[in-house]
Amino acid sequence: MIDYIWLVPALPLLGAAINLFFGKKLGKWSGWLASLMVIGSFAVTVGATLELIGLPSGERAAVVHLWDWITVGGFNLAIDLRVDALSLTMMLVITGIGSLIHIYSNGYMHGDERFSRFFSYLNLFVFFMLVLVMGQNFLVMFVGWEGVGLCSYLLIGFWFEKKSAANAAKKAFITTRVGDTFFMIGLGMIFAWFGTFDFDTVLNGHNTAMLSDGTLTIISLLLFGGAIGKSAQVPLHVWLPDAMEGPTPVSALIHAATMVTAGVYLVVRANALFTSTSLNVVMLVGLFTAFYAATGAIGQDDIKRALAYSTLSQLGYMFFAAGMGAYEVAMFMLVAHAFYKALMFLSAGSVMHGLDNETDMKAMGGLRKYMPVTATVFIIGAMAQAGVPPLSGFFAKDPILAIANHSGRTGLWLIASLTAFFTAFYISRVIFMTFFGKERSDKHAHESPKVMTLPLVVLAIGAAGIGFIAMKGFIPSPEGTFGRFLESSSGVFVEPEGGLPEWALILASVAVAFAAIFAAWSIYTTDRWVKLRERFSGLQTFLANAWFWNAAYEKTIVPAGRGLATFFAFGVDKGFIDGIVNGVGTVTRGIAAGGRRIQTGYVRTYAAAFLFGVAVVLAVLVVRS
Amino acid sequence: MVPTGYFVVLSAVLFSIGTIGVLTRRNALIMFMSVELQLNAVNLSLVAFSRQLGNLDGQVLAFFSMVVAAAEVVVGLAIIVSIFRRRATINVDDESLLRW
Repeated sequence: MIDYIWLVPALPLLGAAINLFFGKKLGKWSGWLASLMVIGSFAVTVGATLELIGLPSGERAAVVHLWDWITVGGFNLAIDLRVDALSLTMMLVITGIGSLIHIYSNGYMHGDERFSRFFSYLNLFVFFMLVLVMGQNFLVMFVGWEGVGLCSYLLIGFWFEKKSAANAAKKAFITTRVGDTFFMIGLGMIFAWFGTFDFDTVLNGHNTAMLSDGTLTIISLLLFGGAIGKSAQVPLHVWLPDAMEGPTPVSALIHAATMVTAGVYLVVRANALFTSTSLNVVMLVGLFTAFYAATGAIGQDDIKRALAYSTLSQLGYMFFAAGMGAYEVAMFMLVAHAFYKALMFLSAGSVMHGLDNETDMKAMGGLRKYMPVTATVFIIGAMAQAGVPPLSGFFAKDPILAIANHSGRTGLWLIASLTAFFTAFYISRVIFMTFFGKERSDKHAHESPKVMTLPLVVLAIGAAGIGFIAMKGFIPSPEGTFGRFLESSSGVFVEPEGGLPEWALILASVAVAFAAIFAAWSIYTTDRWVKLRERFSGLQTFLANAWFWNAAYEKTIVPAGRGLATFFAFGVDKGFIDGIVNGVGTVTRGIAAGGRRIQTGYVRTYAAAFLFGVAVVLAVLVVRS
Repeated sequence: MVPTGYFVVLSAVLFSIGTIGVLTRRNALIMFMSVELQLNAVNLSLVAFSRQLGNLDGQVLAFFSMVVAAAEVVVGLAIIVSIFRRRATINVDDESLLRW
C-alpha cells in the first residue's frame, strides 16, 4: 500500500474539488461524498501501516517520490511523501478521527445553506493537514502548514454573517501568522546552513553535529515559534478560545484533534535540531500553558470555551513531555487527546444540537435524562481526560508526571500534578453542570440522530481503550507497543531512574484525579457554586477572563500595532510611496508646461525648425566624411 | 557639354531662394510657389546627376516628384481656397489655432 500512499492526500483533495464545483447539484450527498473520501484515505493509511509494521524495525521509513517541484541549478526541491511511524501515526489520527467527524457533520450541518461548501473546506483541510505531516522536506510541510491555517480561517469564519465569527477568523489567522513568521525565518536559516530542506539531510545527527550549539538553539527556537502560534501556546494562545465561533465539528477536527497538534508534530519531527536549551524552553512554555489554561478553563461558562481552554492545557502537557525528550509520550498524548477531545467537542455539539445552539452551561443541567448517549460518551471522554484508569488519558498523563518526577524536576512535577488536579476539576465541572444537577433549561432537549451518535460511540470506544497500546505490563510506560512502534522515527527514550517509585506515582495521580472529581461533584451538582461564585466574584472574573490576557493585549499590543499600521498606511504609504508616484506626475507636467510652448502654431516656425534640422544633419555628414 | 557643377550651383541657388521665400513670406500662395521652387531645384540636380552618371534612375525620380508635387498642389490649393472663403485672408500667421 505504501506505493499508493499518494492516494491518501489525493482523495480529500478530489473531494474538495468536486464539492466546490458540483456541490450544489449533489445536495445532501456532498456530505457523504466528502466522508467517503476521508474513509478511503483512512483505509489506505491502515494498509500502509500494516505493511510498515511488517518490515524489520530498521527499515521502517519510506520516501515516495512524486515529482520535482523546483529545480534551479544544483538545488532540487521534490514533492516527496514520507511514510514512517511518526507520519503514519499522524495520518491515522487525521483520517481516522477525521472520517468520524465528517460522518457526524452530515447530521450536525444538516440544513445549513452552505452545506456542500462546508464539506469542501473540511476535505481541503484534511488534504493540507496530510501534506503537512507527509512532506519529506520543510517546504512541503510549510505548504501544508499554511494551507491548514487558511482552512482554519475559512471554517472559523464559516458563519461569517456573524460579526464575532468573522472577527474570530481574522484573529486566528493573524495571531498564527506571528508564529509563522518565526517559522519562515527558521526555514531560511535551515536553508542557509544546510543548503536543503530535506529531512534526511537536515535531521541527520551527523550534519547537525557540525553546527554550533547556539545556531541550533536559534533555529530550533524559531521553529518552535511556529509551533507556539499553530498549537496556541502562551503567548500566542489567545486565538483558540475565540476560534470556537466556528461550527462544532470544526472545533473538534481542527482546534482539538489535528491542526493544533501540528506544533507537537513539528517538535517531534525536528527533534534532532533541538538542543537542551531549546528543549527546556519547550518544556517550560508547555508547562506554563498547561497550568494557565487549566485555571482559565475553571472560569468558563460557555461549554465550548471551557473545552477550548482544556485543549490549550492538554497541548501544553504535550509540549511539556516533548521538552523532557519523551517524544513517544508526547505523541501518545496527542493520539489519546485527539480521541477524547474530539469526542467531547462532538458531544458538546450534540448538546447544542439538542438545545437550539445553547452553549451556556448555566442554562443546562440535568441533561443526562434527555440525551443518554451523549451524556455517557461525554463522561467517558471527560474521565479519560481527567486521568481515571484504565481510560486512555491515564496512560497519556501518568508517564508525563512520572518522567518529570524521575528526572528530578520535582518543582515542575508538583506544578504538573496541580495542573492535573485542575484538569480533572474543570472537566468534571463541565459534566456536572451540563448533565447533572437541577434542570436550568426551559428548552425541550432531545437526543441527536444516529448519524451523530454513532461516531460518538466509536470515538468513546477509542478514548476508553486506546491506552492499551501504551502500557507495559498494565503500567503506563513509554516502552509500550506504541512507544516501540514510534522508536524508529523519534529515537529511543531512556526513562531516567530516581524519584518516587512507580506505584506511588500512579497512586498519587489517581488520587489527585478522584479528589478533583469529588470536589467538582460536591460543588456543581448542587447550587453551592452559585454562592461560591458570589463570594469569590473577583476570582471568578479573573478566571473567566483567563488572567485578563486578552485585555492586556488590547491595552498594549493592539494599540501599538494599530499605531504602527497607521504610521505605515498614512505616513509611509500615503506620504512617501504616494509622494514618489505623485512627484513623477508633477515633474512630467512641469516639463510639459515648458515644452509645449515650442508648438506655436506658426507654420513658418516649423519650416525654420525643419531647415535647422536639415542643416544639422548635413553638418554632421560633412564633418564625418 | 555644360559641366554638372553649373547645374548643381543653379539648383542650390534656386533651393535657397525657395527656402528664404518659405521662411519670410506670409502669403500662403507665395509660400506655395517657393515650395515648388525648392522641389524643382531638387529635380534639376537629380536630372543633372542622372545625366552625368548615364543612369536613368534620377530622371525617373524627377518625374515621380513632379507627380507628387502636382497632387500636393491640388490638395494645398484646395485648402488655401477653403481658408480664403472662410476668413477672407490667406496670411499664414493668422492660421495659428493648432498650438498650446
